[in-house]
Amino acid sequence: MADEDVVLDFLKGKSAAKSKFYFKDFLPLFPDKGPRDVKKILTKLVNAEKLEFWSSGSTTMYGLKGAGKQSQAEGEE
Amino acid sequence: MAKFQTPLLDQLESGPWPSFVSDIKQEAAARAKNPKGLDYQIPVDAPEDLLGIVELSYRDKETHWKHGGIVGVFGYGGGVIGRYCDRPEEYPGVAHFHTIRVNQPAGKYYTTDFLRQLCDIWDLRGSGILNMHGSTGDIVFLGTQTPQLEEIFWELTHKMNNDLGGSGSNLRTPAACLGQSRCEFACYNTQDICYQLTQDYQDELHRPAFPYKFKFKFDGCPNGCVCAMARSDFAVIGTWKDDIKIDQEKVKAYVAGEFKPNAGAHAGRDWGKFDIQKEVVDLCPTHCMNWDGNKLSIKTADCVRCMHCINTMPRALHIGDERGASILVGAKAPVVEGAQMGSLLIPFIEVKPPYDEIKEVIEKIWDWWMEEGKNRERVGETMKRLSFQTLLEVTEVPAQPQQVRAPRANPFIFFKEDEVPGGWTRDITEFRKRHQR
Amino acid sequence: MAFISTGYNPQKPMEGRISDIGPRKYDEFLPEVIKKNFGKWVYHEILRPGVLVHVAESGDKIYTVRVGGARTMTITHVREICDIADKYCGGHVRWTTRSNIEFLCADEASMEKLCEDLKTRKFDGGSCKFPIGGTGAGVSNMIHTQGWLHCHTPATDSSGPVKCVMDTLFDEFTNMRLPAPVRVSLACCINMCGAVHCSDIGLVGIHRKPPMIDHQWADQLCEIPLAVAACPTAAVRPTKVELNGEKVNSVAVKQDRCMYCGNCYTMCQAMPIADSEGDGIAIMVGGKVSNRISMPKFSKVVVSYIPNEPPRWPTLTKTVKHIVEVYAANANKYERLGDWCERIGWESFFKLTGLEFTHHLIDDFREASYNTWRQSTQFKF
Repeated sequence: MADEDVVLDFLKGKSAAKSKFYFKDFLPLFPDKGPRDVKKILTKLVNAEKLEFWSSGSTTMYGLKGAGKQSQAEGEE
Repeated sequence: MAKFQTPLLDQLESGPWPSFVSDIKQEAAARAKNPKGLDYQIPVDAPEDLLGIVELSYRDKETHWKHGGIVGVFGYGGGVIGRYCDRPEEYPGVAHFHTIRVNQPAGKYYTTDFLRQLCDIWDLRGSGILNMHGSTGDIVFLGTQTPQLEEIFWELTHKMNNDLGGSGSNLRTPAACLGQSRCEFACYNTQDICYQLTQDYQDELHRPAFPYKFKFKFDGCPNGCVCAMARSDFAVIGTWKDDIKIDQEKVKAYVAGEFKPNAGAHAGRDWGKFDIQKEVVDLCPTHCMNWDGNKLSIKTADCVRCMHCINTMPRALHIGDERGASILVGAKAPVVEGAQMGSLLIPFIEVKPPYDEIKEVIEKIWDWWMEEGKNRERVGETMKRLSFQTLLEVTEVPAQPQQVRAPRANPFIFFKEDEVPGGWTRDITEFRKRHQR
Repeated sequence: MAFISTGYNPQKPMEGRISDIGPRKYDEFLPEVIKKNFGKWVYHEILRPGVLVHVAESGDKIYTVRVGGARTMTITHVREICDIADKYCGGHVRWTTRSNIEFLCADEASMEKLCEDLKTRKFDGGSCKFPIGGTGAGVSNMIHTQGWLHCHTPATDSSGPVKCVMDTLFDEFTNMRLPAPVRVSLACCINMCGAVHCSDIGLVGIHRKPPMIDHQWADQLCEIPLAVAACPTAAVRPTKVELNGEKVNSVAVKQDRCMYCGNCYTMCQAMPIADSEGDGIAIMVGGKVSNRISMPKFSKVVVSYIPNEPPRWPTLTKTVKHIVEVYAANANKYERLGDWCERIGWESFFKLTGLEFTHHLIDDFREASYNTWRQSTQFKF
C-alpha cells in the first residue's frame, strides 16, 4: 500500500469517533520511518488537498479535508 | 454618527496614555469617509462593530469571541488564527474576524515604504486594525474574512516579498533584539542569525510536526531585552570569555561626576553623588572588582558577566573581544507544569555565519523531541521528564559544572550498566564461595 | 462589494504560488548611519526621558526618540507614524520588544523638532498619540495580550486595563525616578500567550469557575474525544447524560482538577468558561529577565484576585500604583522590585505594602511548591 493510503485508511477508519489527530499519532503507522519522513507524507497529502490542518492557535492537528464537526460549527465550507 | 453607543469604552478615551478606543474610532471614521474610494473587501463598518462587541464585553464582563481552527492559507498549518464572534447578527462586520501573523523583519526596523504597502493591503482587505507587534514578535493583522486570506497572502508574497509567521505546533516566528545595529553591548549579530535561521527553517515554521510550539529568541547580551531565557525554548544569549575592556581615564571621569552613571537612566531623582564603590564594586554579584581610588580592576576568572558595571559605566567599560553566546534550553510560560526558565546547555559557542554549529544543536534537539515529546509538551517539560542527562546525550554536549547551580543533593544516581566495570550480570555461585546464605 | 482578485485561483492553489520565503532581510530597512556603523557603537546616553543618543567609533551619532503606544493600532495611526518618519527620520522607524515606537534621527536638530511635533499630536478623545518616555529607571510600555478585543478564553480585557494602568503610571513612563526599571505586563488568562511570568509586575487574568457544559449541543458541536484530549489535567471525560428523556453523549468535568485554562473551550464551543463573577485579575510581582546583578527570576503572586471593574479597573490600578510607590520609597538604587523583596523578605513586603497575605498565596501546585515554604527559624516579625 502506498504511504499516502496508509494515512488515509487510518483516518477513514477513525472518522466515526474523531476526525483530527496530532502529528505524533501518525508515527506508529510507519515504525521504520523517522518523524521527518512521516512529515513528508503528510505534507504531500495536504498539498494534494486530501488532508487539512486544524489549529487551536497553540497546537495543530491533521484531519481529512472537510471532515469532522468543527467545519460545520465554524460555518466554513 | 457612531453606529453603536459605547459609553463604557468612551471612558477609555480620557487620560494621557494613547487610547486604542480613540484610534479605532478614527479608523471607523476614515473608512466611513473612504477618501481613496476603495471597494472595501470586508464590511466597511468592521471597526465600529468591533467597538460594539467590545462594549458588550465591557457590560457583560465576558468575551464574545469563539475560536476557529480550520482557516488558513493553503499548505500552511500556521500563520492564521480563526476567530468568530458569538453575536454575528448584531455585529455582522466582525462575525468572521480572523487573525493573520506576518513575519516581522529581525530587530523590527522598517522603511515607511514597507509599512505603507502593508497598510494598503490591510485597508482594502481587512479591518485596518493590527498589532505592532504580537507577543512573539509578528505583525498581527486583526480581523478579516476567509476569502481574503489567500488574497492577502498572495499580495504579501508577490508584491512585498514577505511571508507569514508561525502559530500552532511549529517553529514560531523567531525574534531578536536590535543587536549590533544600535547597541554597544551586542556580542554577536542577533538580527542576522535570526534572519538566517528563519529562512533555513521555513518548513518547520509553516508545516507543524512538533509536539507543541518551539521558539527561538536571540538576545545580544545578558541584559536580555527580548527575554530569550524566559520565553524561548532555545535561547541564544550573547556573552564573552575574555576581560571586560576598561578605559581607566573614563572610569575617573565617572567618579569625578563628568558622565552620568548608567547612561543617565537614573537622572530623574537626586540619588546623590556617584559612588563607584557603593554603586558598582559592592553590587558586583561575585565581588570580582576593586577600586583603589585610582584604578578599577576586575578579576576576569570570577566575573559572571552580569552587565551591571558595564550598564553603569558604558563609556568606560566594554564587553570583551572573545565573543559568542550561551545557549539555554526549555523556557516556557506556566501552562501546564509551571513556568520554566531556560537551562544552560552550552556555556559558550561561537556565533558565525552560516551558524552550522548552532543549527546542529537545534536539529539534534528537534529530532529527539519529535520522537520523545508527548503531545503538547514543550521541550522544557520533555527535559524535566526525561532528565537533563538525556538532553546532554542527544545533543552530545559534555556535562559541565556551569550547567548546574549545585550538584545533586541526593545519592540516587542512575548509573548505566556500561559505566560500571563488569556490567550488571554477576555470578551468584562465585558470590556464594565468599558468603554463606 | 465586488470581490477583487489578486490572481489567486482557488481551483488551482499551487498555481503561481510563492511560499516559504520568510521575512524580508533586516538590512534592507536600516537607516544609512546604522548600516555604516553596524557593530561599531561605543556608548549611549539617555539625554532625557525617551531620548537617547548612540555614538559610534567613527564619531557618528544617532538620536532615538522613544514613544509609547497601544500595541493595537490602526492603519490610520501607522500612516501617521510613516508621515512623521518621512518628515524627520528619512523614512525609517522601528518598534521595540515592548511595543514602543522609536523614531531615529541623524542629527540633534531634527530630533528636537520631532519632539516638539510629537508633543502636539493628540487623539480626538484627548489622549497623547505619542508620549515620549519609556527609558531608564522608569516604567516602560506594557507587554500584553488580546483580551476581550480578540481572544476566546480571556478572563479579563487587555487593552482596557493596560490603558488604565498606564494612565495611572504615566508619570513613571515620562520620568526616570524609580530605583530601577519596572516592567509591567498583562496576560488575559493563565495560558499567558504574553508570557508575563518574569515581570516586575505581572497582571494575569484568572478564571475561577470550571467550564459550563451545554449538554444539548456538546455532541453536535464537538468531537468529544478531542474535548477530552484538550484538557491538560485530564479533568474532562466522556459521559452520557439524560436530556429531555433522551440519553445524549456529552462530557463531564472533574471540577477540582480544572485549572481553568479554557483549552476545552478552544476545542469545543459547548464548554464556555467566561464568567462575569468568576473572572478577574491576579497580581504577580518581583520577576525579571535580565541577568544584571541577580539571576533572572519568576514573578510571585501577591494579590490572588481582583474583580473585573470595567471600564477603568479602579482597584487594580490603585493596587499597582501603591506597589510601585512603596517600592520607589524603599528600594535602593539599581534594585529591581524582586531584588528588593528578597532583601527585605516577603513578610516585610506584605507589611510595607499592607497587602493582605492569604492562603491563596501559598504555593500548592505540584511538588515544586515545597521549595517555597520556609524551612528555617529565620524570619521577621
